Amino acid sequence: MSRIACLLVPDLPVAALCRADPTLLDRPLVVTEDARVIAAAASARARGVRVDVHSVAQARAIAADLVIHPRDPAVEASATRALADVAASLASRCERSGDGAVYLDAAGATHLTSSEGGLASALVARAARVGLAARVGVGASKTVARLAALHGDGCEVVPAGAELGFLAPLPLTCLAPPADVAATLARWGVHRLGDLARLPAAEVTTRLGIAGATLVLAARGEDELPLAPSPPPADVEEAVTLEWPLDTIEPLLFVLRALVERAVARLGLDGVGCARLGVTLGLDDRSRDVRTLDLVAPTRDQKTLLTCLRVALESRPPRAAVVTAVVIAVPERVRAAQLGLFTPPGPAPERLATTLARLGALCGPGRVGVPVVVDTHRPGAADVAAFTPPSAALPDTVPPGASCRLVVRALRPPRPLEVFAERDAPCFVRGTGLGGRVVAVAGPWRIAAEWWSDVPCARDYYDLELTDGGLYRCYRERESGAWFVDGIYD
Amino acid sequence: MVLPGARPIEVSAPMTLHRRRSGLGDDELHELRLDRRRIKSETMAMSAAAALLDRLGRPGAVRLGATAPVPLLRLATGLPALDAALEGGLPRGRVTELVGVRSAGRTGLGCRIAASATRAGETIAWVDPEDALDPEAADAAGVALPRTLWVRPRDVIDALRAAEILLGAGGFGLVVLDLGFTGTARTTAWTRLSRAAERTRSTLLVLATTRSAGSCAALALELVGRRVRWSRGAGPGLLCGVLLDGITARLTVARSRGGGAGRAVVLRQACA
Repeated sequence: MSRIACLLVPDLPVAALCRADPTLLDRPLVVTEDARVIAAAASARARGVRVDVHSVAQARAIAADLVIHPRDPAVEASATRALADVAASLASRCERSGDGAVYLDAAGATHLTSSEGGLASALVARAARVGLAARVGVGASKTVARLAALHGDGCEVVPAGAELGFLAPLPLTCLAPPADVAATLARWGVHRLGDLARLPAAEVTTRLGIAGATLVLAARGEDELPLAPSPPPADVEEAVTLEWPLDTIEPLLFVLRALVERAVARLGLDGVGCARLGVTLGLDDRSRDVRTLDLVAPTRDQKTLLTCLRVALESRPPRAAVVTAVVIAVPERVRAAQLGLFTPPGPAPERLATTLARLGALCGPGRVGVPVVVDTHRPGAADVAAFTPPSAALPDTVPPGASCRLVVRALRPPRPLEVFAERDAPCFVRGTGLGGRVVAVAGPWRIAAEWWSDVPCARDYYDLELTDGGLYRCYRERESGAWFVDGIYD
Repeated sequence: MVLPGARPIEVSAPMTLHRRRSGLGDDELHELRLDRRRIKSETMAMSAAAALLDRLGRPGAVRLGATAPVPLLRLATGLPALDAALEGGLPRGRVTELVGVRSAGRTGLGCRIAASATRAGETIAWVDPEDALDPEAADAAGVALPRTLWVRPRDVIDALRAAEILLGAGGFGLVVLDLGFTGTARTTAWTRLSRAAERTRSTLLVLATTRSAGSCAALALELVGRRVRWSRGAGPGLLCGVLLDGITARLTVARSRGGGAGRAVVLRQACA
């Protein structure tokens, strides 16, 4: 027998806005759309505001201290995804309904908790961690679980076989029947689900149509469709629509901080970290600013993520004021740093990500990383690769020995030289930043590299010691005869 | 007259005067002498205890947060003669300057120290505003490139800033700040760099033509008296038949907070 849990948040538009802005929690919040009240906080309803009945003007007339907020689909979507993440953290088979409720297979999840009641409590606690006050019901079907969540004590478990007993006293309005059907049933004297469940389904269908049949099924705690699990979303997305455009960095970072905090809380449900942070900013000129921050190591450290965001925004600010913000965190398992017993500890991965981000912003792209020896015969070639935290194992390199090697400092790009030769041997050199009589010379050594490419490298190399004290590596292009210096021995 | 049963005592002149003035009897004098001996021994014991406390530190004088001086750790250079001259290597958590004229061998020695550090498992950073590091040469010198973070700022100011970021991050056993041939003015950055290095126990090695860190540098090494060694080649030299063999320079300890200034070693650097 299947057991299904329903995780839902009553008044989702209100809860989503309160999640985005916790200062709204204790205030009489009214959510509007097209000048109509579509959701209201309990304190607003206590003042007499009726959802789907009153307009904004009527609501204002009823209570002057109402906090009226337009509906924000972005924060609602984020809240719905957060709820799905909560369910996915405890069950592998989850189904998201259109109204934001999430159904999960309780039979497959109770091995993580002591009982179905424990599962319900765990779901409520985890929902609170992501900023949502959720209710949970557990029953034999989706309908029973949903009604248990809505009309139970918040963690309601309907035991197997007791569904009809639980549903019977509930009012008919909890199934939200169409108005004409509700009127007909009222004329029949059917006011509770137990009354409706006792009616023959075929007769009700004959008189009330498909809507009547659906109501009878629901009153008996039966589902029209079984649980249809959907794969959980891979990325954690948090979004917000701003009330007014932001044209400076600090307020924008304040907004992004809240988004990052919520995203990190959702990542924490599965114990994963953020490997990549995507930021999509909707701009006032109707364009979008999309950027992706690759982190060196997966992390849930908010400070690191915010520092990377700050650096990225300060290095390349958005070209217009920001009206919407979306933060997408790509999850990845947090790699535990394995320290070596005999090796010194390297930089911490979280701090390294921040450090690399700051250095990248300071030096520019492609100027921070690991030096790479390029597979070419062209002298002085260099490349840079992404820096990753080195392993704890000692590097497998050739021991440098007790001697010291003379190293060439590369001059990039090579500087042109004016060379005076005497019997084909350089005797005087003049160039930018160097010059003098040649004291000693060695060479030439002929290099012919990449002759198959469009830019072949055919050079005669010389080592020159000049009277200015420098020891240079110079070459003459064989094709043009021009002289260059591309290195200084130092 | 000597009383029967009384012990003969030696009465010194002052005591005699004291006896005469105070009119004390022999028993009182004996007690007085015993008291004086006890006081003297107690005084000597207290003096010894005070000396011991002076040496070990008085409990009341220890302040919260004050710790005993920690011996300075060293980062070995891998060159035995230089390590011996530096009493183990470069001081960790301090700024070290390595200065010398053009082609004096600063970069070669810097690579040698970096190679030794990476060989020991350290993660290092090389700040290179002149974009002068040749990865192939560094690899040939023994530097473990995967453990090296190469940072190429656009100017010296950014290089100082990058070094400060790296030192503040911690975890980098050695940060090489290669200022190349561009001199730096005396800026307040050195103070910040020194404090950052001390806080994270990273060694900052500054390669420059002249000393600029001043008193912020705990150690300053100077490469002087460079001499280029040429040798007769076996054949590839078509014009002269001469090969560059290497350079020889004298490495002098110009400044050292821990002592040892003035020591010098001969440093030979050879071509591949």
